[in-house]
Amino acid sequence: MHTSSPPVRSAQTKPKPRHRQSLTEELLLLLPATLLLLCFLVVPFVLSIYLSFTDQRLVPNPVPTDFVGFQNYQQVLSDPAFWQAFRNTVYFALLVVPFQCAVSLGIAVLLNSSFPLRSFFRSVAILPLMTPITVTIVIWAAFYRIPDGLFNNVIKAFGAEGYVDWLGSPLWAMPALVLLSAWATFPFQMLLYLAGLQDIPSERYEAARMDGASAWQQFRYVTFPGLRNTNILILITTTIQAFKLFTQVDILTRGGPVGATNTLVRYMIQQGYVSQLVGFGSAVAVIFVVIVGSLAILQRVLVKNE
Amino acid sequence: MRTFTLTLALLALAPVAQAKQITAWVIDGQSERPYFIQLEKAFNAAYSSKGITVKVTPIPNINDALKAGFLSKKLPDVVMIDGPNMANYVWSGQLSPLDAYLDKAMLSDLLPAIRAQGTYSPDGKMYSISPYDSTVLLWGNRKYLQQAGVRIPKTVKDAWTLTEFQDALSKLSKVKGVTWPLDLKLNYSGEWLSFGFAPFLQSCGADLINRKTWQATGALNSAASVKILTTLQDWKKKNWIVPQSGGDNRFYGDKSAALVWVGNWMWRDHKAGLGKDLVLIPAPKFCGNKQASPNGGWSWAMPQSSVSKQEAGTFINFAMSTRQVAQYADITGYIPSRKSATPLSKVYGKGGEGELMAEQAGSIAVVRPVHPAYPVISKSFGDAVLNILNGANVKAELDKAAGAIDRDIASNKGYPPFNKSR
Repeated sequence: MHTSSPPVRSAQTKPKPRHRQSLTEELLLLLPATLLLLCFLVVPFVLSIYLSFTDQRLVPNPVPTDFVGFQNYQQVLSDPAFWQAFRNTVYFALLVVPFQCAVSLGIAVLLNSSFPLRSFFRSVAILPLMTPITVTIVIWAAFYRIPDGLFNNVIKAFGAEGYVDWLGSPLWAMPALVLLSAWATFPFQMLLYLAGLQDIPSERYEAARMDGASAWQQFRYVTFPGLRNTNILILITTTIQAFKLFTQVDILTRGGPVGATNTLVRYMIQQGYVSQLVGFGSAVAVIFVVIVGSLAILQRVLVKNE
Repeated sequence: MRTFTLTLALLALAPVAQAKQITAWVIDGQSERPYFIQLEKAFNAAYSSKGITVKVTPIPNINDALKAGFLSKKLPDVVMIDGPNMANYVWSGQLSPLDAYLDKAMLSDLLPAIRAQGTYSPDGKMYSISPYDSTVLLWGNRKYLQQAGVRIPKTVKDAWTLTEFQDALSKLSKVKGVTWPLDLKLNYSGEWLSFGFAPFLQSCGADLINRKTWQATGALNSAASVKILTTLQDWKKKNWIVPQSGGDNRFYGDKSAALVWVGNWMWRDHKAGLGKDLVLIPAPKFCGNKQASPNGGWSWAMPQSSVSKQEAGTFINFAMSTRQVAQYADITGYIPSRKSATPLSKVYGKGGEGELMAEQAGSIAVVRPVHPAYPVISKSFGDAVLNILNGANVKAELDKAAGAIDRDIASNKGYPPFNKSR
């Protein structure tokens, strides 16, 4: 767009006003998106930074709002419940990110090979993404139910005595949430992988086959390196998604048992909304953005794309 | 043509529009909806000739709508608020007092705990008024109780003592078909965990907060609270209590629970599930001879921002008439909040199946703390209850909850003028 035009043309037309006109056009076209981003992302974020230094309450009240300096941050960082939520969130991300990426990659590879009714199976695989997460959660709640849910019937069939309270045990609650979350959202990563797989030129596979590479070797030395950029994108988005865990926890375990599944976002909402401490909640929000932002940057630095 | 029709339609509507129309936001529930349709019709029939009509709108998630409305100052003339939130809203300057619009005779006819729920202590005025009351008691499966050979108390006075209750649970746990002797509705979230478990403390002389000094430390984490909640925790450890993930219907569905501690709102489900086997058992005497049951519920209130206060007051007064209160009870299954409405009710009147519930509401009800910190009190205690029943250290959890409540009160500078009563 901004490459210099040939001298002949510039002599015939007037390049300067044209350039200016296209610039105003561009700005005009950018305007709606910029306004929306400003209103719904930038302004709220700046507001929450401001609020995090005050003792603002949710419902307006007779005690005037005061500046409290770093008091909210001090209280957040010295609250054991915050650190427990932080550890839980990291634990969830560590479990869910590799698991979900592996599952989506596996299914994407399967769906990328040619077999009858391929488009049908591709559509079916996207269904979990189309189902509202709350519906998925209610169905999975029935799977985890005691003493007679699906999973308890399965372990019974394998000869287990009694039942496991999946969501009520500090050991199993988090893995149970991981399984449910991975199932509910894997098609997003799978679609990205499918697109990435189709970008790999088929010549590379032909060459590999001519060199006598086995299916595994083809995957290891052709497919996986070919997905490098896709992997980076997926790693970052899945990590951010994992850090935002809330709905599943809030409906199924309410952060229990004894805070074992409480997450940063749930902690923030409990403080900012239920306890009506908007200032305190804003401080949590700012810390949350800093954590997630630095994680994304760190990942970006560690795995540079080509 | 279209404009013409529109103009005609507007002209036709004009006389109606001259009557003053007020709007009321009400809770959106399946059992309440028929009542509110009836209320709107009855009020409009009685008052449209006097120039007032009402439009009653059920609002899903009304708590969120109210919070948003307080912030944006866009609220109707009449709203329904959850009883224990009244003090918080009044303290924030959101509600108008109702005293000037209400019949004196009606006020003296209210159940004492309902009156207490609506009265704001700093000025002694009434800011919210509930057409119904609620209570919590034990519901039992007669078949299991008889098999276990347990005495079934009939009136509030001859309720079980803690020893008797414990003995009943132990016997019930051995009856065939019973997986858990007791359901405490741990599957509920939010307010229940505070509403349903406060009586355990209150009947032992403890409370969520000291109602004179408004301090939680010393009341919520007192030795008496620790003792009774440790007992509950022991029951949980013995697997006597339905866990959180057990679902809603263990008592009335597959009948793997023998007793359930829950409120009158489960009346229909229990009746349908157990039929003749359903028995009502009064709130036990957890310590010594004292009993307590929680009470209250959604109440009528008037936002400060209302422009038609006189008309709004007329409407609330109408909704609180004996007839309307009795209707509310009959349609929704809740306990009438006026003494004169109770005999009119088939369920709660003398000899009715729910007589015991009305008796509890009139005699052992303890109102939830009427204090602006209630949302935090309820959340902190509720979190502690859930953690304790999931095995956390009882004293540490109660200390944490009491600390959180006192910190909130301090950060609001004692919620003046509530700090004056110290």
